[in-house]
Amino acid sequence: MELAEFKVSVDHWLDEHAEELEPEFEGIGTLDEQMAQLRKIMRLGYDAGFTRWGWPARVGGLGGSNLLRAYLGEALTARDLVEPGNYSMPEVLAPTMIDFAPPELAATMVPRLLSGEEIWCQGFSEPGTGSNLGSLACRATKDGDGWRVNGQKVWTSLAQYAQRCVLLTRTGTPESAHRGITAFFINMDSPGITVRPIETMHGVPEFSEVFYDDVFVPDERILGQLDGGWAVAMDLLPYERSTALWHRVTYLQRRLEQLVSLAPAGALDPASLGEAIEQVWALRARSRATQRRLEAGGTLGAETSIDKVLLGTAEQAVFDLAAESLGAWIAVGDDPESGRWRAEFLYSRAATIYGGSAEIQRNIIARRLLDLGADR
Amino acid sequence: MDVAERALFADTVREITVQNTEDELDAALDGLGWSEALAEDRPTAVSVLFEAAGEANATSSALDVVLCSVLVPSQRDAVAVAMPPVRTCDAPARIDGPQVTVHGLATRAIGRHDSVVVVASDRSGHASFVVPTAALKLEHIRGLDPDLGLVEVTGSLEQRSLAGGTVADWRDAVAVGQLAIGHELVGAARAMLELARVHALERMQFGRPIASFQAIRHRLAESLVAIEAAAALLAAAWDEPDPVFAAMAKAVAGRSARTVARHCQQVLAGIGFTTEHPFHRYFRRVVVLDQLFGASNELTHGLGGDVLRSGSLPATFPL
Repeated sequence: MELAEFKVSVDHWLDEHAEELEPEFEGIGTLDEQMAQLRKIMRLGYDAGFTRWGWPARVGGLGGSNLLRAYLGEALTARDLVEPGNYSMPEVLAPTMIDFAPPELAATMVPRLLSGEEIWCQGFSEPGTGSNLGSLACRATKDGDGWRVNGQKVWTSLAQYAQRCVLLTRTGTPESAHRGITAFFINMDSPGITVRPIETMHGVPEFSEVFYDDVFVPDERILGQLDGGWAVAMDLLPYERSTALWHRVTYLQRRLEQLVSLAPAGALDPASLGEAIEQVWALRARSRATQRRLEAGGTLGAETSIDKVLLGTAEQAVFDLAAESLGAWIAVGDDPESGRWRAEFLYSRAATIYGGSAEIQRNIIARRLLDLGADR
Repeated sequence: MDVAERALFADTVREITVQNTEDELDAALDGLGWSEALAEDRPTAVSVLFEAAGEANATSSALDVVLCSVLVPSQRDAVAVAMPPVRTCDAPARIDGPQVTVHGLATRAIGRHDSVVVVASDRSGHASFVVPTAALKLEHIRGLDPDLGLVEVTGSLEQRSLAGGTVADWRDAVAVGQLAIGHELVGAARAMLELARVHALERMQFGRPIASFQAIRHRLAESLVAIEAAAALLAAAWDEPDPVFAAMAKAVAGRSARTVARHCQQVLAGIGFTTEHPFHRYFRRVVVLDQLFGASNELTHGLGGDVLRSGSLPATFPL
């Protein structure tokens, strides 16, 4: 399937089924409503074949390049049918399964993710482990033909909806740093897992604390090598800055478009608007180049940290502009539309924090791209 | 050009821009057959040369050749071309009844040519004229960057005495000029970043290289982010020819280069404030280049204003 042909069939499908695909709620909706909408879109998209394109046949895909996935997410986001952050979750987790899971496990599980039958989450951060991922402490100890996991994770997105989790654990000594980490694919209904959603300032409890109390996971659920979890994490993180990021760029363009049509006359300063547009278009140009490199078979690495810094900056520029020109909506509006702008403005404050803070991205750029040596 | 040809071409161009500037660079480009490369593959010829020239702080009359190839494609031997007045994208001349009033800029190549292409505007559009250089008043500009060799061009001419008068693709000429200068800004910004990077690794304080301090590392990382944003936008603007994208790319390249100049000067500290270190040449160059073919703040304000008037955003880059 070529991209041009795919674009035509996706657009046609979205037009034909517009009514069926539309969300049933106004504004941003509750997270429950957003997730129900996401699963509906994934199921309809899977049945029509669209969410299968761009993934290899051995995990239930129909083949074709990553550009097909990028376009599908773009088209869904441009029509406000999905929230791009939640929608892009398979973009981060499916490649990990394809690269690191035992083939039969990947073949069984990935179709459930692509069809919306299941939601997955990613257990990386801990209360004492944020930017310094190599210091994680959640422990897995050998027990018969499996492992017992004990510890706590935090900022686990969508954990309360998830059936599975890609979990990083400490299997080496506490001093083993990045060498003693193992990744597991864990069932979230395993006995001993407690999920506590965290109230956020934007009112969407999208992430949780997750407690693991003697949770059993069998050997065959190890992703990659024992003590090889660092490679899994390093492989996964650039995906957050490629196709998932492309979907987010489309979302920013969509919001800018809506802002231009909604802002009261005189409320938008031409210079600030022009600069926000330039930032979003530069980000799109950068992300497009990343998409094409991926399509050409390139591997993604430290250079995607540039994409992430540009995203954080552009996202905050767009919503700073919204906060200025739709100030009344954001400050005192109580209708669904105001609620959506307020939640999205607030969420944009996290754009330089989640998925590796802006500071960590700059550290990566300094070390790996500018070759500035160690920072101490 | 294919990938291998392009790499070889880029290496050769970089080598000659490092070794030559001004008339010698023009001669070296002739020897290389750069104008033929321009005719064959404009995006590669322009992006490679202007980025290399920016990096080497070299000047040439290549911009005249590029503009001439857009405005007077039939012209076999390139002539000088008048550029917009500082800060704007306006045509360098205005038709007012029988009079043509010229007010623009030129490269130092104008001194070598007997005639110069001047685009003039009136209410109905643009026309290009070939004007005898002797009929214009030329004044060499020193300003912030005397090495750039800019010339101010003024004059008042009788329209019926002028040759040409063909309809001009002024918007296309401006777009290509913006992309060329955008690449030169990116090249100069890369050179500033490299100067600051090397300094940060060599300069010791408190018993360690200042490159080990996060305050320094983050400034240099920010500089690379700014450069790559501009480079990506320039590449996309060649892929999707549209005057709006070229103007955006020029605005971002100008703003990025000034951001890089600010961070790198701070990292270079005292030595970067002297003329004993090459940094000041790049600093001067990017501040002046930012003012050519539309200053970044003018272009950005103009973009925002156009969007507010039309109510719609620019086209987007397709996947």
